[in-house]
Amino acid sequence: MASGYDRALSVFSPDGHVFQVEYAGEAVKRGTCAVGVKGKDVVVLGCEKRSAMKLQDTRITPSKIGLVDTHVCLAFAGLNADARILVDKARLEAQSHRLNLEDPVTIDYITKYVAGVQQRYTQSGGVRPFGISTLIVGFDNGSKIPRLYQTEPSGIYSAWKANAIGRSSKTVREFLERNYKEDMDREATIRLAIKSLLEVVQTGAKNIEIAIMAPGKTIEMLPVEDIEGFVKNIEQEKQEEAAKKKTGRTPGQGSAAILTRTQDEPGDQ
Amino acid sequence: MDTLVAQYSRPAYQQNNALAEEEQQDLLDGVPGASNLSLKFAMPPVAHPSAWLRAVSDDRSNPSCPIKIAHGTTTLAFRFQGGIIVATDSRATAGNWIASQTVKKVIEINSDLLGTMAGGAADCQYWLAWLGMQCRLHELRHKRRISVAAASKILANLVYQYKGMGLSMGTMCAGVTKEEGPALYYIDSDGTRLAGNLFCVGSGQTFAYGVLDAEYRYDLTTEEALELGSRSILAATHRDAYSGGFINLYHVKESGWEKHGFSDTNPIFWKTKLEKGEFSNVTSSFSERV
Amino acid sequence: MEVLLGITGKDFTLIAASKAAMRGATILKASDDKTRQLNKHTLMAFSGEAGDTVQFAEYIQANAQLYSMRNETDLSPSALANFVRGELAHSLRSRKPYNVNLLLGGVDPITHKPSLYWLDYLAALAPLPYAAHGYAQYYCLSILDKHHHPDITLGQGIKLLTLCTDELKRRLPVDFKGMTVKAVTKDGIVDIEFDDDKVVKSA
Repeated sequence: MASGYDRALSVFSPDGHVFQVEYAGEAVKRGTCAVGVKGKDVVVLGCEKRSAMKLQDTRITPSKIGLVDTHVCLAFAGLNADARILVDKARLEAQSHRLNLEDPVTIDYITKYVAGVQQRYTQSGGVRPFGISTLIVGFDNGSKIPRLYQTEPSGIYSAWKANAIGRSSKTVREFLERNYKEDMDREATIRLAIKSLLEVVQTGAKNIEIAIMAPGKTIEMLPVEDIEGFVKNIEQEKQEEAAKKKTGRTPGQGSAAILTRTQDEPGDQ
Repeated sequence: MDTLVAQYSRPAYQQNNALAEEEQQDLLDGVPGASNLSLKFAMPPVAHPSAWLRAVSDDRSNPSCPIKIAHGTTTLAFRFQGGIIVATDSRATAGNWIASQTVKKVIEINSDLLGTMAGGAADCQYWLAWLGMQCRLHELRHKRRISVAAASKILANLVYQYKGMGLSMGTMCAGVTKEEGPALYYIDSDGTRLAGNLFCVGSGQTFAYGVLDAEYRYDLTTEEALELGSRSILAATHRDAYSGGFINLYHVKESGWEKHGFSDTNPIFWKTKLEKGEFSNVTSSFSERV
Repeated sequence: MEVLLGITGKDFTLIAASKAAMRGATILKASDDKTRQLNKHTLMAFSGEAGDTVQFAEYIQANAQLYSMRNETDLSPSALANFVRGELAHSLRSRKPYNVNLLLGGVDPITHKPSLYWLDYLAALAPLPYAAHGYAQYYCLSILDKHHHPDITLGQGIKLLTLCTDELKRRLPVDFKGMTVKAVTKDGIVDIEFDDDKVVKSA
């Protein structure tokens, strides 16, 4: 039905779709999952890290979490190579903003910029949209209010308290909706980020990356040992809960999550 | 896409400014070679417009030059505990000719930013109005007021692009924001931009500095500060032939600027002389002259 | 009559720049900072044509910081010096060259070796143990030739700098309003308290 209309990017199909943009959305869904959670005075990014192959040199395998400026952090889901280009543009804009306005960018500003670039690549000829969604977090200069934004291939951007993108993002988002609390401290925020990721990451700590942003500070990557600590703690708690539920005979939610994961996990790309 | 790439790989100082890139690109579309200038101007039909302009308008090296640009001014601004005082004279001269005695040399960029005018009157008026436009666009795009630092930098970057092409401006940007407090910047057409407590600009600057420096303190009361600003301009109008007319006085606060009169220097001079005994070298009666 | 001075020592590089911003016969500002930090352990001081200086320095600063963000590692002082030289050489052959003289000082992030580079607006680059720009050269280089040693401590470096600025206060015909002094060490860049109010009597 769509053939003939989805070749040129900037052409609508008769029913108002721009197919290339929708396909970009598919690429995002196939990307590894990323979550962002805001706490009281902290904001945490978590990523599912694809396990390295046996002969791969992990030291130079690029992370899915990157710094845009000292106070702005970005995580993405989708095509790694596209992200590199987009992050680079954002970094250039961040420095350009410092040079021209004498102030570092606000998280709001850089989000609009990133979304703006993504939008531009949906409306010009000879280009392909960015196959990525991003989560942009950080603190504005001199502010203690955590910020969390999402951008999409279409150029839409939105603000969140907690959100997930990429593979099984629906499951994780629903989990966050159920478990999010206002004004969480640092520990609780990290814990929620990890716990939500564990809904879709089977392999535990070594496949999770956590970045923490705090006011006036640059990025802090959580060491693997610390993540392991959280994971152990969470699993222990789950087991205890499961034991309780067995006696109470209520259907466990953990198994429901596994069900959805197997459902919307498409072939690896 | 190549042009898109080129646009972003160009050094940032050549970009008009980060905010208005796109819009200005729209304005410039189809103007080859003009891409690093802000707006399109009609150029005189000669080989080297900037050299031609210099030859035809520099009345210092050529007193009989055909174009006399309005010059000569005293303007000052200083920061103090209660905000910023901005004061100017109001005389415009073209060579030895007093072109006007009622020029507004304080330019109201918007309700909380002021600019002052020294050098080419047209250059200052045009570019400060343009700056007002950029500030408004910043406000609309970012949903908050532009900082004085950013506003002054937009202007400094702009005049720097025109460096050597005949612009003549010496301006001060004054404003009070929550983040910066009272902020004052000096910008001139060389591209210099300096933050500071106190600046005097124009042919009468030295005279104004003399009075202002001696009595300036940061903890001046608002009344004292207004009086000091006014008295410094008076000093300059008295000694500098190219300054005179009226004293234009403003006070900038966080809630915006406030105008404190556009007052004739003549009665103020006599009042100062007769009531305070200053300007004693000037006689007020004919009998003393003998 | 801007003054730029640079001195290296055992584990530091000192950079000093005069505080006066002059236009014609007026000192517009007596607390001007003619230095820009390029990254954690590289500092650049500049003098020259009004407007050009700050525009060029901030352009270099933005590019150095962009490099750091993109590559998650800082450029070394020598890499930066050569980059700056390239930019100056390029500018020199353009329609409107930058008229800027520079001192670039730093400490290598890996070897911790201090270094100092002297660059002028003609894009000459020279690594030196101590250097100066402008009239300061004529007074200070002889002093530094006599007293400088590559393995001096920071304290000795500051003393040596005081020797230079005292002579400048004595003999330069204009007041340069004291110096901003900064030291680059392996731990980063620190502001050095420097007595600007000291009155130096002529012999």
